[in-house]
Amino acid sequence: MELRSDIAIDIKNLSKSYPGRVALSDISFSVKKGSVHGFLGPNGAGKSTTMKILSGLIRESSGEFIVNGKIGFLPEHPPLYPNMSVQDYLQFVLAIYSPHQQNKQSVIDVMEKTGLSHVADRLIGNLSKGYQQRVGIAQALVHSPEIIILDEPTVGLDPAAIADIRTLITKLKKDHTILFSTHQLHDVELLCSDITLINHGKIVVSGPLETILENLKTRMTIHARVVNFGEAEKKKMMSQFHLESVDFTNDQEKKNVFLKITANAPDSLKKELSHFLAADSIGLLEFGEVRLDLEELFKQMIH
Amino acid sequence: MYIKQIKVLVKKELKDSFLSPLIYILTGLFCFMMGWLFFNYLMQAKTLTTATMTQAVITPIFGNMNFIFVFLCPLLTMRTFAEERKQSTLDLLLRSRLSEMQIIIGKFISNAVLILFMLSFTFIFPLILAFSGYSDWGVVGSSYLGVLLSVMAYLSVGLFCSSLTDNQIVASLLTFCILLGSMLMVITVNATNNYLLALIVQYLTVPFHYEGFVKGVVHSYSLVYFASYLAFFFLLTLKSLQSRKW
Repeated sequence: MELRSDIAIDIKNLSKSYPGRVALSDISFSVKKGSVHGFLGPNGAGKSTTMKILSGLIRESSGEFIVNGKIGFLPEHPPLYPNMSVQDYLQFVLAIYSPHQQNKQSVIDVMEKTGLSHVADRLIGNLSKGYQQRVGIAQALVHSPEIIILDEPTVGLDPAAIADIRTLITKLKKDHTILFSTHQLHDVELLCSDITLINHGKIVVSGPLETILENLKTRMTIHARVVNFGEAEKKKMMSQFHLESVDFTNDQEKKNVFLKITANAPDSLKKELSHFLAADSIGLLEFGEVRLDLEELFKQMIH
Repeated sequence: MYIKQIKVLVKKELKDSFLSPLIYILTGLFCFMMGWLFFNYLMQAKTLTTATMTQAVITPIFGNMNFIFVFLCPLLTMRTFAEERKQSTLDLLLRSRLSEMQIIIGKFISNAVLILFMLSFTFIFPLILAFSGYSDWGVVGSSYLGVLLSVMAYLSVGLFCSSLTDNQIVASLLTFCILLGSMLMVITVNATNNYLLALIVQYLTVPFHYEGFVKGVVHSYSLVYFASYLAFFFLLTLKSLQSRKW
């Protein structure tokens, strides 16, 4: 496997299976150098497995991957010693990860970066969960790796702590390539330049976030509420506008009909559709476009 | 470099151990039992006019010390890997520049230092005897060597059991079962009346070799025995740690 200089992590046909269960089947994707790469998927999709393989914790069953540089890894459960002070802990991690780089300054720098300076002498076990997570991130950073892999860094934290971690990741973006998994789609939209979506151990989609969202935009989903609608109208509409699908449901009192229209078409279609539905025989009451965002994508992809 | 990295781990382990109450509880328990036994044997020695101090006090006290460690060692080693597993810090160590062997040796040394700490309190027994004119320091020295070697063997079993599970209680029970089981094996084999088999099994148990040390005899085959015992359980621990990657 050849190494390209603009790629930080390159994964080719990676598989991992445990007796009776396939965790990853033949996944391939790459992480560009200097990017923030979001790794998404429901629980049990294979995110943690992939990250563990990349960090060398477990061995792949088949396939290969190249990691272009040192890796700092924050596992799902941050590996912390509750009886150690923050500073001692980071000093210890530095000593066993980078024995030649034994200066106090890098520990102090990392604590500065992660906002831990004022708790340097406190025992890790006494810190709040948000701070423990920061110590976990500091642990991944302390031996100055080029690539940082974070497994669900924001899970289980309060909103303020999540915002802190987000700011931290934004700060780290400048000097590191970051691959992180998350359930928070908001995180992805704010932070990531690329995403990979994984489900049941298979890659669903992978690429730059913009391209993926761009592709979504040409797909239009419209919700409408009308007075009168039936199979005849549906047929007429389908043939007139080349729609992908029209679903309609009558509500309980039979006074309204709810429509869901999906189409692969330019924006101008909206106007034509609204004209069509505004006809006397149908009677348009409500008309609106549903913006397909990541959440929608997530829902569609994993079902 | 190899040694220096181990030192980093040992330092961290010892700091952690001496900050937690377990070691003090175990040391207290150990000192209490040993002190009591010493007192009893000393009292008894007065009535045994034919026996020497070595026969009446030193030999039985070291025999008991060894047996007490069969109970204490599992309690000491149970947390070694099990706790690291539970805190998911074992992965932190395994991903680091430390090799698996370095981790095992580091953990082993730090446990051995804890045992030395406990043992150091018993130095007072021969000192007390010295005041009444006792001077058979050869036996005392070889007995301490024997205790140390046996305890190291127990620790290696404990490390292995601790690496198998993230449950400390399971780890300590398993260690205890292996240690006691291997001792009981001698009785079972003796019952079969097979002389050769009995000799072989006897050679494989710790007390047989320990006996020599307490009598003041250091057999070279006993040293070989303890070295291979440690090597065997180190290897098992190594395999157990490596199996995490599968």
